[in-house]
Amino acid sequence: MATPNGKRANSFIRFENITKTFREGDQERVVLQGVNAEIARGEFVAIVGRSGSGKSTLLNLLAGLDTPTRGDIFIGDLNIAKLNDNDRTLFRRKHIGFVFQFFNLIPTLTVRENILMTAELAGWKESDAHAQANRLLDAVGLRERVNVFPDKLSGGEQQRVAIARALCADAELILADEPTGNLDAETGAHILKLLTTLAREKNKTLVMVTHSSEIAEQADRVLRMEDGKLTRPETGGLETGERRLETGD
Amino acid sequence: MHLTLFKTILRDQLHRPWLTLLLILSVALGVAVVVAVDLANASATRAFQLSTEVIVGKATHQIVGGANGFDDSVYRNLRLQGFRNAAPIVEGYAGAQELGGQTMRVLGIDLFAEPPFRTYITAGTNVSVDALTAFYTQPGAALISAESAERWGLETGDYLTLQIGTHEKRAQIVGLMRQPNQVSSRVLEGLILTDIASAQELFDLNGKLTRIDLIATDAQANEIAAALPEGLRLVRASEQADTVSQLTAAFQLNLTAFSLLALAVGMFLIYNTVMFSVVQRRRMLGILRCVGVTGREIFLLIMSEAALLGLIGSLIGLGLGILLGRLTVALVTQTINDLYFTLTVSDVNVDALSLLKGLLLGIFSALLAAALPAFEASAVPAATVLQRSDLEDRIRGLLPRLNIIGAVLIFIGAAILIFGQSNVALLFGGIFIALFGLVLYVPVVTIFLMRIATATLGRFGLIARMASRTVTQALSRTSVAIASLMVAVAVVIGVTVMIASFRSTVENWLAQTLNADFYITAPLAGANRVVTMDPALVDKARAVEGVQNIEVLRSVTVRGLETGDLRLNATEGGVAREARIFRGYNGDPSKIYEQLNAGAIAVTEPFANKHRVAEGDTLTLLTDKGAQNFPIVGVYYDYSSDQGSILMALDVYRNFWNDNAISGFSVYVAPNYDVNQVEDAVRVALSGNDVVVQSNRALRDAALVIFDRTFAITQALRVIAVAVAFIGILSALMALQLERTRELGTLRAAGMTLRQLWRLTLLESGLMGAAAGILAIPVGLILAAILIYVINLRSFGWTIFFTSVPEVYAQALFVSIGAALLAAIYPMVRLSRLQVVEALREE
Repeated sequence: MATPNGKRANSFIRFENITKTFREGDQERVVLQGVNAEIARGEFVAIVGRSGSGKSTLLNLLAGLDTPTRGDIFIGDLNIAKLNDNDRTLFRRKHIGFVFQFFNLIPTLTVRENILMTAELAGWKESDAHAQANRLLDAVGLRERVNVFPDKLSGGEQQRVAIARALCADAELILADEPTGNLDAETGAHILKLLTTLAREKNKTLVMVTHSSEIAEQADRVLRMEDGKLTRPETGGLETGERRLETGD
Repeated sequence: MHLTLFKTILRDQLHRPWLTLLLILSVALGVAVVVAVDLANASATRAFQLSTEVIVGKATHQIVGGANGFDDSVYRNLRLQGFRNAAPIVEGYAGAQELGGQTMRVLGIDLFAEPPFRTYITAGTNVSVDALTAFYTQPGAALISAESAERWGLETGDYLTLQIGTHEKRAQIVGLMRQPNQVSSRVLEGLILTDIASAQELFDLNGKLTRIDLIATDAQANEIAAALPEGLRLVRASEQADTVSQLTAAFQLNLTAFSLLALAVGMFLIYNTVMFSVVQRRRMLGILRCVGVTGREIFLLIMSEAALLGLIGSLIGLGLGILLGRLTVALVTQTINDLYFTLTVSDVNVDALSLLKGLLLGIFSALLAAALPAFEASAVPAATVLQRSDLEDRIRGLLPRLNIIGAVLIFIGAAILIFGQSNVALLFGGIFIALFGLVLYVPVVTIFLMRIATATLGRFGLIARMASRTVTQALSRTSVAIASLMVAVAVVIGVTVMIASFRSTVENWLAQTLNADFYITAPLAGANRVVTMDPALVDKARAVEGVQNIEVLRSVTVRGLETGDLRLNATEGGVAREARIFRGYNGDPSKIYEQLNAGAIAVTEPFANKHRVAEGDTLTLLTDKGAQNFPIVGVYYDYSSDQGSILMALDVYRNFWNDNAISGFSVYVAPNYDVNQVEDAVRVALSGNDVVVQSNRALRDAALVIFDRTFAITQALRVIAVAVAFIGILSALMALQLERTRELGTLRAAGMTLRQLWRLTLLESGLMGAAAGILAIPVGLILAAILIYVINLRSFGWTIFFTSVPEVYAQALFVSIGAALLAAIYPMVRLSRLQVVEALREE
């Protein structure tokens, strides 16, 4: 349901007229052109599109890894596009969890330490952080492998650690960039289920970039990118999302 | 800082043992050289201070004067006037055969006047009563330290053969001095103690003293000074010591500056290794940034790691420095003995302050060198941490700014060098700043050189084109490696050209000034040491057939009113030198000698520069006939002492000083006589007297041996430079290879053979080496010019004439390219192990 000023009720994330350009020598390449979108709290949104359509750039902007050339990005009431690099980082460590395609675990830290790291960075008490890490280790089924280093884990196991790491600091927003892109179909499906289940259980907002239409189908809503612009949202997802918003789930 | 983060970095470091070792070694090497030089300098200075403390004791003032001592009636009168706190001293130097031939300080004392002054011979405590009785009653009785006796296997009752002037004399050891305090006992090792009457006998100074030590209030001192006869003066004891220790100040400072240069070169190594480790961790750092680690935290992480490894490296460097210091102290002491004054340094004095300085310097250097790579890792936006192309773009964008900063630094450095006067520390600061400014031009010149390489080598195929382009494309890596290699090689060129120019200047000077056929001196003649020969020897030599002319030299230390103690060389029968040995003089040199005979003086160039005097000025000297003014009629080139000296006609000298002794003489052989035969005949005529007869050639060779010994320490720089060259290129190549794993995998997949990849690596490395070698030549020449025309002139006061050394440039290119090619071997081995499929998967 829309408010009188055009904003979605219970809106958690809001892209307002986002433009992103890159300089390549003397040329300027436009990657995002006036993107407007809103995402509700607890929603699972999939961003799809062809390579080079701008979906990863949008995710990076949402993560505060980069800033838009023009436009605003609100997460809650905070416009992260106006923050400096340091403040964006501090915001990210408390409010955003990231799951990458290539897992990106720290090779010199054990499974437990990799998961603990985000809670520690967010300033959690050591005992709370450990309890949280244990809960997540149970949830991702890696309790037996806490002291193992990442290079001894399979791809699926590594991604499970990455999911636990993303959730450990209790971030409200989980961003995932092709989280199953580097896994076989069966493992990928298992990982996706784990991620979406945990996100829903903990009422996290999940924004996922994917090429896979199967994954997109599982999302509450799908945002399709084409040449740096957002096309109309697909109906199924939108209806689900709106239904969830209206019921206040 | 978060513990997990620090654990991340620390464990990562432990996973790269070679890199860790390299970084630790870089710090250790730099710190070791600095500490070694510092310890050697400190040991020499401390040894000098200790010997001064022991020799001067509690004396507040000293009465000194007379080139050849003064009458002991001065002491008697002092006592008669009721001044009791006075001790007469006869002091000189003697070579002691049984003590390994080393030069010992012989101190003749009056046992009964001693107690208030010196405490190291107290009857019953450290010297037996019997020994003291013999010391006082037996002519030629001597005390030496128990340590010396033990070292050379001597006992009480043994005899010492002492080389004094042209004579050999004997002294008997009647007792051994033991010192409970270990530090002072080291000083006693260089000392032979005799009764004053024995010393007078040994040095042919019957009825004379070389000084009187006093413990006096200022009022008493003024009263005593007023009553002193002409030619004698009262000085503060500390003033004497200061004057002597200042002699070596410039020499020691230069040594320190060179050691700091070694550390600066070592800093390039640290930079390279930290940069390499940042490159290796780029991906990990990117992940950390993504999960919320701030740039500041990344910076602090890398800096604390550098501090930790810097600390470990510094601690190892301290140990190495102490070991190296033992070698260095021998070189430093030898130079001080050759050029300045007699000094015995038996061991390295491990000074806590030197160690602390080394430790802090090591950590600080590690932090300074790591700051840029740490900043590089932290300042890039998180999303692009994983993309190095962004960094290269930024570096390219920075080039104009770097060049402007470079120009400003060169300008500041040049201004310091021009206006820095004689503050050697400041001048070296100027060199460092200017050198850093030049380094900032390396990237832009590398781009230019690689364009030439692409245009020329590119014709030979794809690999050649790829190699030169890689060097340009990875400028952030390659330019630092090229810069570090360039600085190392430039320092070697600079120092080598300076030493070669100096050596050739000294050779020319020796050829111009050593005109006689052979020279007769006393065995212990040396810098700043007054030795005396029997004047009768001159007549004996003159009587030998074939001797055409003899030039007599008297070399003494006298005092100038404004200049303090100075070396005076008085000559007789001087043969007019060439005009060009006089600075800025083109006239007839015999005119200058005519004026010298009429009472004028000439001064050496270092003297003129040090005391800021020139032709036309007047120098006031305190003669035995009171203060006298001497006009300066010429400034001549001289490289025998950086303290300088003055030249006077012997007749003029004898007119003002009561001293008929001579220090040596030179012999000119008449035409048609064989020089060797005449030399042998003179040897026969002088037999029975212990003199050194040296041919013109032998004397020149001996001077050059001392010269080479003085610069031996700079050889260490070459070793460090080669190490830097090697490690710098190696780490750059490794970083490049790591960053291009995917590219290399693609090349292999596309059909490039391993041999072709090796060729590519060798070419890239060789091009970097060549660029460094080419750049090092002009920079090295600039450095040489600064060392020659600024540092040497300002700190030592002498003009060195620039000599070009073409083979050094070829060597520089050879070392640069050779080191670079050697450094390529390990990366090539790694290439052989490259798993193509894995490499292609690399992000």
